[in-house]
Amino acid sequence: MQLSTVSRGVLPLATLAALSALLLAGCSPSPSGTSSSQPVSGGTLTYASGDAEPTCLDPHVGGNYPQALVSTQYLESLVSLDADGTVIPWLADSWTESDDGLTWEFTLVPDVVFTDGTPLDAAAVQANVAHLQDPETASSTGYLALKKVVATEAVSPEVVRFTLSAPDSALLESLSQPWLSIESPTALKRTQDENCAAPVGTGPFVVTDWVKQDSITLERNEDYSSPPADATHEGVAYLEKIVWRFIPESATRYAALQAGEVDVIDNVQPDTIVQAEASDSIRHLDAPRPGASNRIELNSSTVPFNDPLVREAFIRSANVDDAVTSLFQGTAERSYSALSSVEPLGVSAPDLFGYEPDEADGLLDEAGWTERDSDGYRVKDGERLTVRFPVSTNQSIPAEQSLFEQIQATAKETGFDLVLEPMDLSSWYAALAANEYNAVSAPYTKVGPDVLRILYHSSSIVPAPSGYFANLSQVSDPQLDTLLTDASQESDADARAALFTDAQDLLLGGYYLLPLYDQQNHFLLDSEVEGTRALPTVSAPTFYDTWLNR
Amino acid sequence: MAESITDDRPRVRGRVVVAFVLTRLGGALFVLWAVATLTFFALRLIPGDPALAILGGPGSQASPEALEAVRREYGLDQPLFVQYLTQLWRLMMGDLGRSYSLNMDVAPLVGVQLGGTMQLAFLSLALAWLLALGLATWSTRGGKIARSIGSGLEIVAAALPHFWLATVLILLFSIWLGVLPPISTPGIAGLVLPVLTLAIPLAGFLGQVMRESLLTALESPFVLSARARGESERGVRLVHAIRHAALPAISLSGWAFGSLISGAVVVETIFARPGLGRTLLNAVTERDVPVVVGVVMIVAVVYILMTLLTDVASRLADPRLRAA
Repeated sequence: MQLSTVSRGVLPLATLAALSALLLAGCSPSPSGTSSSQPVSGGTLTYASGDAEPTCLDPHVGGNYPQALVSTQYLESLVSLDADGTVIPWLADSWTESDDGLTWEFTLVPDVVFTDGTPLDAAAVQANVAHLQDPETASSTGYLALKKVVATEAVSPEVVRFTLSAPDSALLESLSQPWLSIESPTALKRTQDENCAAPVGTGPFVVTDWVKQDSITLERNEDYSSPPADATHEGVAYLEKIVWRFIPESATRYAALQAGEVDVIDNVQPDTIVQAEASDSIRHLDAPRPGASNRIELNSSTVPFNDPLVREAFIRSANVDDAVTSLFQGTAERSYSALSSVEPLGVSAPDLFGYEPDEADGLLDEAGWTERDSDGYRVKDGERLTVRFPVSTNQSIPAEQSLFEQIQATAKETGFDLVLEPMDLSSWYAALAANEYNAVSAPYTKVGPDVLRILYHSSSIVPAPSGYFANLSQVSDPQLDTLLTDASQESDADARAALFTDAQDLLLGGYYLLPLYDQQNHFLLDSEVEGTRALPTVSAPTFYDTWLNR
Repeated sequence: MAESITDDRPRVRGRVVVAFVLTRLGGALFVLWAVATLTFFALRLIPGDPALAILGGPGSQASPEALEAVRREYGLDQPLFVQYLTQLWRLMMGDLGRSYSLNMDVAPLVGVQLGGTMQLAFLSLALAWLLALGLATWSTRGGKIARSIGSGLEIVAAALPHFWLATVLILLFSIWLGVLPPISTPGIAGLVLPVLTLAIPLAGFLGQVMRESLLTALESPFVLSARARGESERGVRLVHAIRHAALPAISLSGWAFGSLISGAVVVETIFARPGLGRTLLNAVTERDVPVVVGVVMIVAVVYILMTLLTDVASRLADPRLRAA
């Protein structure tokens, strides 16, 4: 079975297809004949995460990616997505939407039991919605996703009804996310501390121990019965145990993988991927996250980017392609879309984002930035053409920070003074809240194109009391607002797609953002680890089908 | 304190001891207060909202309700000075508070992590002493070349940055030779590389000091008279010279222990070991004020204890100090 290199520079959908093909190939006899190709039950897998250790293992609380990664192993959602992005059954067998889009009914898979013995029924789902909507839970991601749900009702033990304030075409996509997974209502009644330490779900593994700043131990759920519709086997998981470790240092993670101390590592940096691809004993899993692409948002609320000509000039002056090629060494593909390449409705517009410094010069002249100061920067009315760019060192990996420096260098030739301001996460949030930025790069993971509404609807400029807001380019366009609102309420798939396409054309053509590449999400696996795939919802790996070929 | 030598009446002597203990205790309390105050304000003066840090994390957008709830729960809606006084009062009551980011009380958290760091620090200190003593005695016994080699090794070792040394050791022992794990393991094997990383630079420092004073001692009159009494070279070195040479190194050990704990921040992160250093690093990036204050307080207490211990050790090693 040929498994050495997977998916370099291939479209993510093709990646998933390729992975599935490899999984299928695993079922046929191995040509070498030396190793078994039939899944073997048993063994312990050690996973090493470079993400911050979650502060709570219940992803209802807060709701970030590190929580999604680990909770995918022990919690499950009502629905999932398959590799094509189609919604498929999981804990809900089937669902119906009323004609006015205000009532949804979900029929649950029968005879599913949480690992504490509580049965999965309509009341359990109601308890989860209530938990997510309770301010005491302090849910951010799940809370936002359920904003239109005003009431729930148990029609029968198997059928739960959601009543909405307005139609929500993103409801199923939202419910597929790990941040809205279904937990035992009995367990949710415990204190938040207890629930954070060991949430109880229906998943293939159970949290049995959590030594903070060291590891989480997950053991097999021996009564497991509810795999998603696209899993490759049924019944209990093959692995007996997963040890989920936290190894913050990138080089140590890779060394531990090479030394055989761990079996899977995440947050793999470009240079490490290139090294690993030369190795026969390591496999690479490239699973870009859904939602928005990684992009630079241009703050259209203040000088200089309140002028569309200057925004376009900046985009023309930035040589992103060459920088991505040299810094990411082929591990990331340039994006020309506001959406991740795994989003089927993403619009890609390569023509809009070319590197054309001559045109950039002309645009700046036209915008009135005609003079240059002694350092070569453009000047208008005595003010230098300065672009303040706060960079979160927690969120931008070293290669990305170098990419910004390259953009700084090419933008300087056109006359932009791009000032990179590296800072930690809290200071970065503060800079955004104070509107002390002209450009910024902020990741945003969400399933489905509705992320566009969160990032670019003018209502997202209104800051929360914290000062944080999601519309960082501060786009305020009534036409765009209408398109995004209509799309979020349109239940006809084709009409919805058309609305989102129009919205993206408007957005990209307004030069509010400079797309870079997908949100990178690379994993390296010891070649003994078989059958691992990323769940197509938020691209977190699932180890339910995984077995160890030792 | 000259009186105490001449005045042997037990009462007066007792009073002097009490005064000594009280001064020490007062000094220690002052240090603890200053540490708590400085850390609190330093952390709060940096821009950033702890409530967001509590809920936040990349990609998650906290709802206003959630933020309000968190502000109330952690008292972040109070004026800064009130928060400071509250924290100080709690500290005096022995309550280290509750971590913003880890959802648990600080005292048990720090208590659990203290063990790992102390183990690392003590083992490293012990190994550094062994290496330094070994190198110092070997290089002073040998000729001029041995001395140059010794001093060269010490200078290089002392200058090695922890993160570089750690990476090289991982490359050498975990990847090339494949004999030692690069991350902490249940057994002793996982301790070897972290301890080496901390011990080697420290051994360089200690070695330089020891070799200097060993050389001075070997040329001093009391060694000459010991030799004149016919003591063997080994006896001269073990009983007299090394004892003399160890003195400055002992008083350096208090400082060294502090430097080991700061080195633990790097080493624990690189080798993925649980401990105070890693806790501190996480807490600083998360703006987790109670944990930072808690860790710094514990480190301050340990540092004060270590200084006391080195005082006592110096007195034991040097009869001249015992009189005072």
